[in-house]
Amino acid sequence: MDLEQTLARLLGPVGPEIGCDTCFAELDRYVELELAGADADAAVPGLRAHLAGCPACAEEHESLRALVAAERGD
Amino acid sequence: MIAATAGDTLLADLQAEGRARELAVEELHALLLRAARFEVSRRRPSLPHLRGDELDEIALEAADDATLSVLRRLDEFRGESRFTTWAYKFALVEAAVKLRKRAWQGREIPLEPEQWTGLSSGAPSPAATVEQRDLLARLQHAIHKELTPHQRQIVVAIALNGVPIDVLAERLNTTRGALYKTLHDARRKLREHLEEEG
Repeated sequence: MDLEQTLARLLGPVGPEIGCDTCFAELDRYVELELAGADADAAVPGLRAHLAGCPACAEEHESLRALVAAERGD
Repeated sequence: MIAATAGDTLLADLQAEGRARELAVEELHALLLRAARFEVSRRRPSLPHLRGDELDEIALEAADDATLSVLRRLDEFRGESRFTTWAYKFALVEAAVKLRKRAWQGREIPLEPEQWTGLSSGAPSPAATVEQRDLLARLQHAIHKELTPHQRQIVVAIALNGVPIDVLAERLNTTRGALYKTLHDARRKLREHLEEEG
């Protein structure tokens, strides 16, 4: 594994961060705001930081975003 | 493409009774199966050892489980996104969890440090590489000195050895949320310790 990536994973994101359960609860709203070009991070503070710290939630975020974008023909 | 109104109709029918609801549940299942298959196809390159029929089975199981979850939690839908977007996330997460579980099936979960050495540095200069290696050594020391045995296990497994959090949660008989809280607290402790060291 890459050293820089390992250090980032050990130290985690800096700043306020929500947990996995809240991330799941807010994910649909966050993704739609992102795809609409709105300020998703202002609407759901701490979610972006959580995605930086949690590889599983980050994968699920990418998938939902890709699926919704594909359906809308983006 | 599914229009917002189609999702609204589906939601209303799911909350109805009789034949309309039965048809709506079928429609929901088809929708969630499509999402689960989407997830499976995205991850397929990382799962070369799984046959096509095994992947289809995982997608179907994920859609079945997600349908039950959506029906059970319908009253949690707050209308802050399209209903379809809200429902999709259940199928994507079910599929992702099942695929990670399958990828780690039969593998021992490394809870002890294995990856302290052999990490390659992509730092732009030798000085930056030295700095990164110094930080890693300080972290290694802090992990042993500052963390509880439980925190140490979680940090090592997830952050160092790349064990997926949901796979670890199942093996340790806990929840993903609880494990992330432990990881979060441990990371904060490590950062604070490094700051104190200066």
